[in-house]
Amino acid sequence: MNRTQTIQGSPASSPLESDRWLTWIAMGFLLVILAFFMLYPVFDICKLSFFKNGIFTLKNYATYFTNPRMFRSFTNSLYVSIVTTLITTVLAFFFAYGLTRTTIRGKGVFYTISTFPLIAPSIIQGLALILLFGRNGLITRYLLHTDWNIYGSTGIIVAECLYCFPNALFILYTTLSAVDTRLDEAAQSLGASALKTFYKVTLPPAKYGIASAAALVFNLTITDFGVPVVIGGNYSVLATEIYQQVIGMQRFDLGATISVILLIPSVGAFLLNYYLTKKSYALISGQARPFLQPSRPFKRWAFTLYCWIPCVFILIVFASVFAGSLVKTWPYDFSLTFKHFDFPSLGGYGPIWTQFWASVLKGEWQSIIAYKYAPIWNSFWVSILVALGGASLTLLTGYIIEKKKPKGNQILYILSVLPAAIPGTVMGLGYILAFNKPYFFIYGTFWIIIINITIANFTLGVLSSIANLKQIDKSIEEAAVSLGAGAITTFQRVVFPLTKTAFLSNMIFFFMRSMTTISAVIFLVSARVKLAAIEIIFLDIDGRTASANAMCTILILIVVAMLIVMRFVTGKSGLKGMSTST
Amino acid sequence: MGRNLKLENLTKQFGTLTAVDHVNLEIEEGEFLCFLGPSGCGKTTVLRMITGFETVTSGKILFDGKVINNVIPQKREFGIVFQSYALFPNMTVEENIVFGLKVRKMPKKAMEERVDQMLDLIGLRDWRKLYPPQLSGGQQQRVALVRALAPNPQVLLLDEPLSALDAKIRVRLRAEVKRLQQELKKTMIYVTHDQEEALSIADRVVVMEKGKFRQVGKPIDIYKYPNSSFVADFVGTSNFFKGDWTEGWVNTGKRRFKVGQKGSLTGEEVLLAIRPEKVEVFKMGEPPENLESSNLLPGRIDVVTFLGAAVRLVIHIDGEELISDVIEKEFEQKQLRQGDDVFLYFPPEAFAVYSTKEASG
Repeated sequence: MNRTQTIQGSPASSPLESDRWLTWIAMGFLLVILAFFMLYPVFDICKLSFFKNGIFTLKNYATYFTNPRMFRSFTNSLYVSIVTTLITTVLAFFFAYGLTRTTIRGKGVFYTISTFPLIAPSIIQGLALILLFGRNGLITRYLLHTDWNIYGSTGIIVAECLYCFPNALFILYTTLSAVDTRLDEAAQSLGASALKTFYKVTLPPAKYGIASAAALVFNLTITDFGVPVVIGGNYSVLATEIYQQVIGMQRFDLGATISVILLIPSVGAFLLNYYLTKKSYALISGQARPFLQPSRPFKRWAFTLYCWIPCVFILIVFASVFAGSLVKTWPYDFSLTFKHFDFPSLGGYGPIWTQFWASVLKGEWQSIIAYKYAPIWNSFWVSILVALGGASLTLLTGYIIEKKKPKGNQILYILSVLPAAIPGTVMGLGYILAFNKPYFFIYGTFWIIIINITIANFTLGVLSSIANLKQIDKSIEEAAVSLGAGAITTFQRVVFPLTKTAFLSNMIFFFMRSMTTISAVIFLVSARVKLAAIEIIFLDIDGRTASANAMCTILILIVVAMLIVMRFVTGKSGLKGMSTST
Repeated sequence: MGRNLKLENLTKQFGTLTAVDHVNLEIEEGEFLCFLGPSGCGKTTVLRMITGFETVTSGKILFDGKVINNVIPQKREFGIVFQSYALFPNMTVEENIVFGLKVRKMPKKAMEERVDQMLDLIGLRDWRKLYPPQLSGGQQQRVALVRALAPNPQVLLLDEPLSALDAKIRVRLRAEVKRLQQELKKTMIYVTHDQEEALSIADRVVVMEKGKFRQVGKPIDIYKYPNSSFVADFVGTSNFFKGDWTEGWVNTGKRRFKVGQKGSLTGEEVLLAIRPEKVEVFKMGEPPENLESSNLLPGRIDVVTFLGAAVRLVIHIDGEELISDVIEKEFEQKQLRQGDDVFLYFPPEAFAVYSTKEASG
């Protein structure tokens, strides 16, 4: 080895600078992407809501707040969100308590069932409630023969509670399992009653966790579009009102105004959740988790019963939608049929897919597979690309923020956690305003959808990447460097293999989100660019409820298949520790 | 001409904190040098500047006569061994060792030979297919050692390599590192806060405090002739007395000690230091003869601690605690017991005298 040459042949900049330019390029690239595909659309929305012909005006806001028909959506949104938040937080808290602080059996089963809502679009809750309590509901019409139905605020609240349950549960489960149970025992040995122990010892350290779960539920509910659009009926909320104004009335200015109004509570709840999560971790970290004392029989019995309640509801939701897709005429004729899987008049086009099957198949099968199933194919390959792109970009972002720490990495951090604060409908409208321009060639294609879904789910990907990278000792990278490996080799051979499991679980997260997302994407689909989750809504609006259920069933099956594949690849469930936002 | 490593006025500042303060040193090829100091003294920062992981605020690092301040770590060809082993957990022992060779695109044949050679060096040939978590801490650190040696680095830098290990394994591995160094005649720079480790392993020791080199020298010289009260205290153990130095005497207020060292100044405030093994212990009633009576003090044995070959006594004299190390044989002969009243003798020539001004600075 020629050492004289190697020593002289190095750049004259400071030692770490050589790798630093690579970091700078990567960071610049990420900042540009986030600014262009997140800040710019939101900026365009604000501009449209405050300016008319280049002049600042509050006229749009005046219109919104003085028109009772529109303003209703504001109070409605607050009402359903607050009620949902209260119910879900309390339900999930005691569920989490049962899983962490009692010795009930079947904790794994309860935990798994409670995560089911994550694998389906939020509308599944709405579809199921309609099947059971709708105008032609199994329970309302068939069993009770009543005219009452669940459309409106009740339906939204029940559906949102089910949808938000796993998200709140993740936070509360983490909080409660980290709080030292020995304190409970100490309090009881000092003579405190069980109730007093709960109030004085168990609850206080969990308070930030509880508040942070509540803030997350509030944010999820107020920004959700899928549930209110199918079960809201005439009960309009902010997210659906935006869609109504833009798509129904072509009033982009009012849509933008409502978007800004929706941004305030949603960003507020997000910031609160973020702040409280940090505080919560500070409060609970580093405490021991000793063996759990066996609970008394009554406590065990009561909590087992309690935990079954949400689980049974969740199972009923899935069972009804599966059943609804397979029977002839719900709830009158329960004979089995696959006819709803032949989607009515749903012409579509999927790149590669359509050409291939159109050339292979003939007649009816050609129209079913090549055209009617094209949206499902589209959802699938879009989700695969989102999974790959999202997991890679968020890993890279996390790596730069956590390991490279260049100047200005805080800006990158803020921009990467921000997407969770922006409601999907707002983001979707922002994309129309910002990118619906002739020179912006990817608008109206699948690519804009892929970018949108990736950006919208950036936050959780980055946060989980950072958490994972934190566990890698700094010396390991330095060891690689000292052995002569460059920045890229080090990342490829050392850092990436060590984060592979996290990378795969991020992939499955992005895949699931992409398969099931509705709110933003509904603004970006068109007659030619169709996605399965959106088709569920259109089928439902068309009154093709059974086919909507069928489409939903197919989506769930694909996601479940993917989870099983991932389980084989990583050796563990891809769902653990995965909380979603927006 | 050896390929020496030279530090010239090397300085590192973190904000307003000066972690390394204008230090100068020349390390010769094949030398085993040890940086010793309490945590936060800047020893690891010096090492990290030599490795290239830390930038230099001012001053120079020269290798083979060339300034390498701006050479990236990969190009320095210095091997590093970390406290946390830092083995790649996703690679086997063999793959870990081969990593540095692959990066250098060594021919396959030569690579295999080199790996065998390295595994033989640490006697872990049978472990080549295992993953790091399957090895014990000591084994992992041995693998880390040869992984760093495999690409034949110019210099091997070791950052507290044994601190995470159990006491026994630490001593064994210490000997192994020393053996490797002598066999390979590789320049090694070793950082530790363990003075015993530093003294037993190095050819030369640099004692650091607050970013400065307090003393540089052979282990025995550092131990026997500490040049400051800090070194006397940090390396080994010392008993200290504060007093005024006049001619051959130091007046501590309560008592006067005769001191062998000749002072030029009179009345200067000094710290008097004496090693525990230099303090002699006699049982009350066995009055020793021909001793300087002013340096003979009565006391009582408070605590007896067996250190193995020696016995450490904590002795109470007039409200102060002093330490005396007595070899085990002598301890038995004199039949010393806890609670015994004894005489302590401080031989005048065993005292080291340090200015108190230097001690605080």
